Amino acid sequence: MEYIIETENLVKQYGAATVVNNINIHVPRGNIYGLLGRNGAGKTTAMRMMLNLVFPTSGTIYLFGVDCRENTEKLYCKIGSIVETPGFYENLTAYENLELLRRLRGKQKKEYVQDALKVVGLQNERTKPFSDYSLGMKQRLGIAAAIMHKPELLILDEPINGLDPIGISEIRLLLSELSQKYGTTIFISSHVLNEIEQIADIIGVMHEGKLIEEVNVEGLHKSNRRYLEFKVSDTLAAVKLLENHYRITDYLIQEDTIRVYDHTYNSGEINKCFINNELLVTQVNVYEENLEDYFSTLIGGGGIA
Amino acid sequence: MLNLIFCELLKLKRSKMLPLSIVGALATPIMMLLEALQTHFEHPEQSFTLSDIYENSLLYVMLLMNMLIYVAITAYLFSREYTEKTLKTILPVPVSRNKLVNVKFFTLLIWSIMLSVVSWIGSLVLSTIYHFIFGLDDFYFTASLQWLIKFVLSGIMMFFTVSPFAFLAEKTKGLVAPMIISAVMVMGNVALCNQNIGALYPWTATFFLLEGKTESTGYPILLSIGIIIFVSVIGFCVTFHYFKKEDLK
Repeated sequence: MEYIIETENLVKQYGAATVVNNINIHVPRGNIYGLLGRNGAGKTTAMRMMLNLVFPTSGTIYLFGVDCRENTEKLYCKIGSIVETPGFYENLTAYENLELLRRLRGKQKKEYVQDALKVVGLQNERTKPFSDYSLGMKQRLGIAAAIMHKPELLILDEPINGLDPIGISEIRLLLSELSQKYGTTIFISSHVLNEIEQIADIIGVMHEGKLIEEVNVEGLHKSNRRYLEFKVSDTLAAVKLLENHYRITDYLIQEDTIRVYDHTYNSGEINKCFINNELLVTQVNVYEENLEDYFSTLIGGGGIA
Repeated sequence: MLNLIFCELLKLKRSKMLPLSIVGALATPIMMLLEALQTHFEHPEQSFTLSDIYENSLLYVMLLMNMLIYVAITAYLFSREYTEKTLKTILPVPVSRNKLVNVKFFTLLIWSIMLSVVSWIGSLVLSTIYHFIFGLDDFYFTASLQWLIKFVLSGIMMFFTVSPFAFLAEKTKGLVAPMIISAVMVMGNVALCNQNIGALYPWTATFFLLEGKTESTGYPILLSIGIIIFVSVIGFCVTFHYFKKEDLK
């Protein structure tokens, strides 16, 4: 498989603190790779190393199969990026800021600037300087700057920060389109697990500087377990009934609830059995273990963000 | 490189720093006019020439007013990329870190020369007005042209001696520390501008050299030049080195 981003034992230390600890990330061409992790997990530092903003303590980053320290000019002109809140010159307008980036890149068509502004809906902001922009507008301009030169790889750190729900949805559609239509590889981090889940092909989970999981989303959905949950008056009696009547052994007791992972029998049938045996059933639910549960379990609870 | 220079100049569009620096550079000529008026009314018997005005202007430009302005410009040029968080946008373009620092120093040089010329023009315009109202001795345009060369040279020399402030701005990522240090440095200028040892203090040494006063201090000219070069080279080297190696968190 061809990897657009590949890291090899990547480490970043600040003094005694290891912020990124020996991570090996693999981002295949044309895929959307979502990087998840709590605050301080090391996501942004990893991305900054990929963008040559922070220098690794050890390890190697390969971009397009080439060590990122070699031939940087050729490599980085194929990359668009946002790192946290985008930074632009406060006294310049959106157009001027993008024009500045266009000139820095060189050999770029003038129309690219206006096209990119149209994509993010900022084409009419002709006179307002960047300092007067709302957070959402700043984020949109960041996205415009990242995509204006039609990059093969997008490295986006929290790109939907500050966007309203409609803006988030638009950006999600845009990223999916870029990936599907133009084969753009996207490496994206976010706190919003739901957003990543909707667009990513692969999810990587970082925790305390380590990459603890790198998993295909499709496979993950398939492997997610559904379960029935019963809140009963006597869990021991209920378990006995499950084992004796239905030969069910795949269950989990949590205080006064029982989770049944065996799908042979439906909830109504089991519920009827409990009632017939004089058990009080106060709640019956059908659950599917979602990504949040999965990742929370992975990093030891407390949510991903 | 031309694109980089264009972009660096574009960054100054609508920037308040540009008009403010021009107003600052005009402060010296205005002070000179006020001083000339005061002298005229208090001691009408005293006469002075255009060269006298330019000489005093150059003193204030190099040791006081413009020095503070050039440090402010240096700090602004080098720290704004941090305060406006633009490095994470422009470096992955990619832009070479060395080239970026080069262009910033080039912009600083052009800006310093421009402001020195503004001070010269201001002195000329106000002296002309004074001349037509009260009269100045030896008022020749050719004389003012000779001073133009000196003012341009002062801008270039001051550019070299403010290089350590570029590092300070990078390191502290703001204007405050460079401005405080520059205030201390200007106090040093005031204290040493009439002392022989001023020939060894880089920020007064430039003025002594330009005014041909170094020899009279008893210190070798080469030593004075050596100190100026040493300070500026150290300033340039640490600025380049720090920026090249810095992690942009």
